[in-house]
Amino acid sequence: MTAVRPALDASTLPTTTFSHRSLAWWGTVGFMAIEGTTLFIAVVAYFYLRRNFAAWPPEHILRPDLFWPTVQVILLLASLVPVVLADRAAYRIDVPRLRRWLLVALGFEIVAVVIRWQEFLALNVRWDTNAYGSVVWTLVGFHTTLLLVDVLETAVLLGILYSKRRLERHISDATDVTFYWYFLVATWIPLYVIVYLSPRFM
Amino acid sequence: MSAQPLPHRDHTPADEDRLRRELEHAYREHTGLWGWLTTVDHKSIGKRYIVTAIIFFILGGLNAALMRLQLSRPENNLVGPDLYNQLFTVHGTTMMFLFAVPVMNAMGIYFVPLMVGARNIAYPRLNAFGYWVYLIGGLLLYAGLFTNTGPDTGWFSYVPLAGPEFSPGKRVDIFAQTVTFTEIAALVAAVEIIVTIFKHRAPGMTLGRMPLFVWAQLVTSFMILFAMPWVATASIMLAMDRLIATHFFNPAEGGDTLLWQHLFWFFGHPEVYIIFVPALGMVSQIVTAFTRREIFGYPVMVLSLIMTGFLGFGLWVHHMFATGVPQMAQSFFTAASMMIAIPSGVQIFCWIATIWAGRPRFSVAFLFVLGFVVLFIIGGFTGVMIASVPFDRQAHDTYFIVAHLHYVLIGGAVAPLFGAFYYWFPKLTGRLLSEKLGRWHFALFFIGVNLTFFPMHQLGLDGMTRRVYTYLAGTGWGDLNLLASIGAVTIAASVGVFLINVIRSAARGLRAGDNPWEAETLEWATSSPPPSYNFPYIPVVQSRSPLWNRPPDIPVVTGLRTDMREVLITTLLDARPDSRHRHPNASITPLLTAVATGVTFIMLIFTPWGLPVGGALLTVACVVWGWPNRKEYEEQKLQESS
Amino acid sequence: WATFRRRQPGEVTDSPGRERSLRFSVLGATALTIVILFAFLIADLATGRAITAGPGQDALQIRVTGHQWWWEVHYRDSLPQNWVTTANEIHVPVGRPVVFELRSADVIHSLWAPNLSGKRDLIPGDETSLWFQADTPGVYRGQCAEFCGHQHAKMAFLVIAEHPDSFARWLDRQRDTSRTPTHPLARRGQEVFLASPCVMCHAIAGTPAGSRVGPDLTHLASRRTIAAGTLPNTRENLAGWILDPQGIKPGALMPPVRLGSDDLQALLAYLETLE
Ligand code: HEA
Ligand code: HEA
Ligand code: HEC
Ligand code: CUA
Ligand SMILES: [Cu+2]
Repeated sequence: MTAVRPALDASTLPTTTFSHRSLAWWGTVGFMAIEGTTLFIAVVAYFYLRRNFAAWPPEHILRPDLFWPTVQVILLLASLVPVVLADRAAYRIDVPRLRRWLLVALGFEIVAVVIRWQEFLALNVRWDTNAYGSVVWTLVGFHTTLLLVDVLETAVLLGILYSKRRLERHISDATDVTFYWYFLVATWIPLYVIVYLSPRFM
Repeated sequence: MSAQPLPHRDHTPADEDRLRRELEHAYREHTGLWGWLTTVDHKSIGKRYIVTAIIFFILGGLNAALMRLQLSRPENNLVGPDLYNQLFTVHGTTMMFLFAVPVMNAMGIYFVPLMVGARNIAYPRLNAFGYWVYLIGGLLLYAGLFTNTGPDTGWFSYVPLAGPEFSPGKRVDIFAQTVTFTEIAALVAAVEIIVTIFKHRAPGMTLGRMPLFVWAQLVTSFMILFAMPWVATASIMLAMDRLIATHFFNPAEGGDTLLWQHLFWFFGHPEVYIIFVPALGMVSQIVTAFTRREIFGYPVMVLSLIMTGFLGFGLWVHHMFATGVPQMAQSFFTAASMMIAIPSGVQIFCWIATIWAGRPRFSVAFLFVLGFVVLFIIGGFTGVMIASVPFDRQAHDTYFIVAHLHYVLIGGAVAPLFGAFYYWFPKLTGRLLSEKLGRWHFALFFIGVNLTFFPMHQLGLDGMTRRVYTYLAGTGWGDLNLLASIGAVTIAASVGVFLINVIRSAARGLRAGDNPWEAETLEWATSSPPPSYNFPYIPVVQSRSPLWNRPPDIPVVTGLRTDMREVLITTLLDARPDSRHRHPNASITPLLTAVATGVTFIMLIFTPWGLPVGGALLTVACVVWGWPNRKEYEEQKLQESS
Repeated sequence: WATFRRRQPGEVTDSPGRERSLRFSVLGATALTIVILFAFLIADLATGRAITAGPGQDALQIRVTGHQWWWEVHYRDSLPQNWVTTANEIHVPVGRPVVFELRSADVIHSLWAPNLSGKRDLIPGDETSLWFQADTPGVYRGQCAEFCGHQHAKMAFLVIAEHPDSFARWLDRQRDTSRTPTHPLARRGQEVFLASPCVMCHAIAGTPAGSRVGPDLTHLASRRTIAAGTLPNTRENLAGWILDPQGIKPGALMPPVRLGSDDLQALLAYLETLE
């Protein structure tokens, strides 16, 4: 071994970091890229298949209902309030606040899942009726999968935050869960427009 | 026990001994079978990934050997259409999804952390998970083949042939789920490699100082990120069409058969560059090491890799010219396909310039690089030919295409890979592969590949279509086919020589030492094979060739904890030290999560109950994954308090 | 390994002059590549334009439908009774463009007669087309080019390019329905045919058999091959095919039919009258 010369001292570097300085954030971004691409592909398939139909929705199929989907959009936007507050609390390492707001956010998320059930019914078509049914079910279904993943993540993280196993790292992780929630809301708006509104107005 | 930041003075051998002992302890894995199942060391996983991929290469090659036996004579009765169709489908699926992509990922998993001076790959547990999922996918495919349920609709399984109406039974379901498994594995590997490259580089290794292999892996990983979801989505749609009667690809209900082709090739074309780009990185490393000079035109090389990555997404329709593409689109995709010859050409010219101006040493690894140049230029030229629509309308779906794809895949990816094995084997095992056997390997391989695939150009021009289990004697194709079959035997012999070489050299090869080729990159700075923690000291990098421009005393990082797996996180562009992060210890959770994933997708082939059952299993797995166990908790606590 | 010559690694660095000449070579080669590619692209576009020029007004229309694993060929006419359906054999007049309307009854196939034209896929749910003009009379072999399942390998066809007069005569003959045979053996053969499962799949114009699952047999005896170019159309081959299609084309969608040897001889005699 050649002689070595200590040149940099790492011992003073922080162990808990946020945003693009944290590894968990990068993982979240990576999976958002994958999932965003997947949703984009489903949208491409939606418009590709649409060319095969004279009417959209196809004849004898009712247009999607708007009531529950619109309620959902409003609630999702409202859910941003506790999420933003949780986010801020995390950056300030304010654990009690973080827990409180994350709990409220979890409540919103669970309500979103329940309403999602109504949104499937609001499609007014089955997945095996025709290609239109298949693609709208898939669009909503993909997003629902991500929704369920986020509910699970939030719940587990909250559990940890309330438990004795809580660590500083989990505070940073909480900001990734909230980040992911922004992503879910941001992707749902265009999906809502495409799936529920566009058959009426386009 | 509290952390002792290393004192700021010159290190004595005693210091180093202590450091090594402590790191040894921190990076210790379990022993025996349990250790094998729980390890999160990128080297153990990378090594088993490589070995598994080679086993699949041999299995895929054996399929090919059977095919060549059947085709060696006209109207041969050795293999009937039912088996033949399974053979070429499983051959193509194996080579693309179970060999070529995974082996390139595996080389990245093993070498990228070493080349950037990291202690482990980012997300080590995810890495273990990826391997297990890949293994399950591969086992599923071969379980299918051995029970006469092997997929039989080709590696791109066009619908409606692959749909529920024309392929009842489970064969195509196995194809769809194998694809899903391998895509999951490739996607997680891509995320790990990107984050390793972005955040785990040794301080001082700016983007402009990264080895070209690392650049190639970075470009590839981004391509995976944006290409693989297309085929994963397509295969999920296909599975849904088959299992729950959706109509994506059913024209009778408004579905579209060409949708499948677009989705598949939007992945499929980038896929071939996902295989090819890492190979370019390997070639660059080998050329540098064996001409003993820095690569000519490093910035141009990097730019070419990136350009290949981008352009690769604009060519997919050149696989669909026979479906009747509008004139405008044809011209666009022809032009794009020709454009991509430019970055490939530029790299070839830069290597030639490097070799020209360097002092090449014709060791086996270097011979494979020369073989690569020849084979790839042939395959590249046929590629440019078939990018032209009038020509492709003749050549499409004939053996001319089979010739092209093997020249570029074997020439462009397998030859560099063999070169890389000779180059890096000493790092993996501490021993050199035999040069003498290596020369036999190379000679047989080079002759065999040309013997097998060159005649196929002529067969294609004579009108022999691909995917035929036999041909009539009157066609006069018998002789060239026999030649091709003899060539396949020659390739098999060369692979046999390689395997013997590996087995013998692993046990009795010459000891390699740390840096047998006197190469310039960081993986050669540590011992062969590297210790579990890779480097006792994280080096501070000061140039593109850190081991060539080595100052008398190497600057290193101190102050990382040695009582746990603490790693240094650096900034993205210029790799300044930024924070410390604790990497996880060995764990069984990745395997359990992979099994849960496996159960979900395999059960779905048989019943929709796979969804709730799998969902429940995966939920449990996620909770176990996320919840810190006591040891983790205590280590992390300790780290955060320091 | 001992022969390995020791050299200082990384020792090779370029003098500025060397560097410049290397750069010049690489740039030159790259420029040359671009020039060649452009030339190639222009040649490609020109050829493409020439090929895709329209077929013109007087083109003959033929509809070809792909089936697993045979070709249905359909000539239309303004009078429906003049429509002609045949299989696996496409007659075209020389010197006149022919437009093919391509469809598929099941999966994707691809029509390819290498010496006449490039290939074009037959896509279910999507109509595609192809045109070419044969200039020299002759028999051209063609083949399905897109993998379509078990017998993709044996899904061939013949293009018979002939003088417009003989083409017109051929078409005329194909318009005839079959006549009840006069020879007693053949007459018995017709009874065998109509009483056997054959009618479930095959049509013979002029008899009650009208199913379109398999190839139309009205003018079977006028065709040169059977089973989509797999075998020459001889009596022995026909017998072999009827008794054991799965031996000849494993997976083909025609089941073996059990017939006594008397019945078989009668059936063959009948089929041979279907000129
Ligand atoms: C490693 C994999 C790999 C690589 C690198 C390539 C590289 C290229 N491929 Fe290939 N291709 C495949 C793997 C690959 N291909 C596979 C697997 C298939 C078949 C899939 C299937 O159907 O099963 C296929 C099929 C395929 C088709 C479809 C054919 C058909 O089905 O009808 C086309 C058409 O355009 C094509 C084109 C090209 C082109 C233009 C390049 C270019 O990138 C080549 C560029 C390189 C060079 C040109 C050589 C080096 C350059 C120089 C020395 C400079 C001087 C050059 C000139 C002046 C021309 N490929
Ligand atoms: C990386 C990719 C890759 C590689 C390496 C190969 C390697 C080979 N391929 Fe393959 N091939 C494809 C990718 C690849 N192929 C693809 C994508 C297709 C299209 C599939 C489709 O149409 O769907 C294809 C299709 C294809 C066909 C066309 C089939 C058809 O259309 O009908 C043929 C025919 O000859 C063929 C042959 C071969 C041969 C002879 C080899 C040889 O190089 C193989 C050499 C290896 C061996 C022979 C194994 C060595 C084994 C031993 C030495 C035994 C020792 C064992 C023990 C000790 C246990 N391949
Ligand atoms: C279940 C359907 C079915 C039945 C029953 C059936 N056939 Fe067929 N037949 C087919 C199909 C499908 C083909 C095309 C096979 C191929 O080429 O792949 C065919 C092809 C043929 C051909 C070759 C036609 C050509 O031009 O290539 C002949 C002759 C023939 N059948 C005769 C018969 C006779 C005689 C019987 C009864 C004894 C019979 N078939 C019963 C479906 C059937
Ligand atoms: Cu029809 Cu291949
Ligand atoms: Cu391509």
